[in-house]
Amino acid sequence: MTAGSQSALREANAARIIEAIQRFGSLTQVELSEATRLSPATVSTIVKQLLEAGAIETRTTTRSGRRAQLVTLAHSRGLVAGVHVSPRSLRLAIADTSFTVLAEQFLPLRPEHRFDTTLDRVALLIVEQVEQLGSTLEEVLGIGVALPAPVHPQTGEIAVPGIMRGWEDVDLQETLEARLQRPVQFDNDANLAALAETRFGAGRGTDSVLYIRASYGVGAGLVVGGEILRGPRGTAGEIGHVLADPLGQICICGSRGCLDTVVGAQALVEALRVSRGSITLADLLRLASEGDPGSRQVITDAGGLIGTHVANLAVAADPSIIVIGGELAATEDLLLEPIRAAVSRRVLLGGDNPIQVVRAELGAQAEVRGALAAAADLSPISGGVR
Amino acid sequence: MTTMLRPPLLRLESVTKRFGAVEAVVDFDLELHTHEVVALVGDNAAGKSTVARMIAGEYQPDAGRLLLDGQPLALTSAADAFRHGIATVFQNLALAENLDVTANIFLGREVKEGGRLLAEQYMERKAREYLDRLNAKITSPRTPLSELSAGQRQCVAIARTLVGEPRIIVLDEPTSSLSVTQTAEVLSYVQALRDLGLGVLIISHSLNDVLAVSDRIEVIRHGRNNGSFETASTRYEQVLSAITGATRYDRSARP
Repeated sequence: MTAGSQSALREANAARIIEAIQRFGSLTQVELSEATRLSPATVSTIVKQLLEAGAIETRTTTRSGRRAQLVTLAHSRGLVAGVHVSPRSLRLAIADTSFTVLAEQFLPLRPEHRFDTTLDRVALLIVEQVEQLGSTLEEVLGIGVALPAPVHPQTGEIAVPGIMRGWEDVDLQETLEARLQRPVQFDNDANLAALAETRFGAGRGTDSVLYIRASYGVGAGLVVGGEILRGPRGTAGEIGHVLADPLGQICICGSRGCLDTVVGAQALVEALRVSRGSITLADLLRLASEGDPGSRQVITDAGGLIGTHVANLAVAADPSIIVIGGELAATEDLLLEPIRAAVSRRVLLGGDNPIQVVRAELGAQAEVRGALAAAADLSPISGGVR
Repeated sequence: MTTMLRPPLLRLESVTKRFGAVEAVVDFDLELHTHEVVALVGDNAAGKSTVARMIAGEYQPDAGRLLLDGQPLALTSAADAFRHGIATVFQNLALAENLDVTANIFLGREVKEGGRLLAEQYMERKAREYLDRLNAKITSPRTPLSELSAGQRQCVAIARTLVGEPRIIVLDEPTSSLSVTQTAEVLSYVQALRDLGLGVLIISHSLNDVLAVSDRIEVIRHGRNNGSFETASTRYEQVLSAITGATRYDRSARP
């Protein structure tokens, strides 16, 4: 074997080891050898090299009651935690200060879950995940939390009543900070997803992005000059609550005919009740991907109406790019084409340099990645890292 | 998801089970469809486990019947139920502490080569495949069981049911005495089973957990049906009051 092929093999083995550590968060050397199917001797040699290069760290912890040497990716500059609370689930990621995700967790939640139970679970999950990385809470520089409701920038409370029942009239930031004794930042999910797409996703290289989150409801996040536009009450970008149907239903926010009452998950699945019975948004998306005509029609029509409002907002805000995310974006052109068509009909958005409408790149990770970025911004050490 | 045209995957029709003078389950109905997670909830001794054991083939109903794909079915044993595509994970998991993950998954159903030798490599490959289907966080199919957490053990027990390519999986208290992280993992496995197209019946005390993963909730009280709820449009308190008997259930009002 030549020297060249040997070093190529070493690199490939090192990559396998890094990949395994990323997948499982932290592993003992014995587990690393099992997971990569490399010999214990090879693992030991490569771990030593990666340690010297500063790519990984070893930490002492206990596994099954015994002391064990854990191998994790290097995070000596600290950790950040990102949480995405949805109507039916929560997603958590722990990352180092360069936003490499070290541990991830997903927990389904019940309908109308309440802030006390859910924040309790968030706190326990963070503690357990950080411990599994061989770290302590003191190493957590900040925690970002994305919520499916506007958050008042000053009070840290949900800004609009009715949207997230069971979470209102409480200082969420104070509740979680009291539990974990670490700095916490709550923000709207569309805002944080917009931030993530701007820094790490489809909006890279620009600093004014209009992000649309088409999910259980429709939300928008506007990044202007690299900063999230929140507004003094935290409700900037709430396009789910613009007027879409003057004679429509009363929305959970109290207004009549909000966009969400026409294209929110509830309205979309309701449209299929006759042909499909009681289904969920996930069922609708699966049916559409399987080619069900009714489901595809419902999503296309939603795209057309969302497109009209996105185009109006784009005319007013003049972003560099429009990024479409949220669960509905998984249907790709089914949703995006009608939005593009609506945007292209506005003369101001066309011209020599027409505005691009693209699919979000970070998928279901966008909100959590944005929450990680917000968490890092809380800390003076990592605040400059972008 | 309810599909009105096809018969349900599994249907319990007015089943009754008595133990001497004790009426454990009385005139009980239940339906389970493909791609569906149904939760069976109730107080201690409400009859949840008796229903599970009838579906698992361990008990035979004294009256009423089981229908699989609309066809009546008389299960004689757990092995018989397994042959019909019904797999059950009981609370005690029944795993062997001294064996590794692969050996546990194939315990009692070992695959042999040439009739005598164990097909070790084949079983290891399949074990990895089952774990991947569940997005399991287990480093190797050769990890000894004794090194696994409670959540990972639950995963091995669930992976074990996949060996027979079942269509129905019954999970008895899968999240009792687990940490939040482990609960998160187990609930993700339940969703993975649903996404594989299986019908899943989950029996649990934890209302938070069953409301999180189920499509429908069936309440059993003193062995009788006491409420049926679509999870997405149900409040915690509604299920709670059905369990405690604060609300009564009128079966004639059923669709």
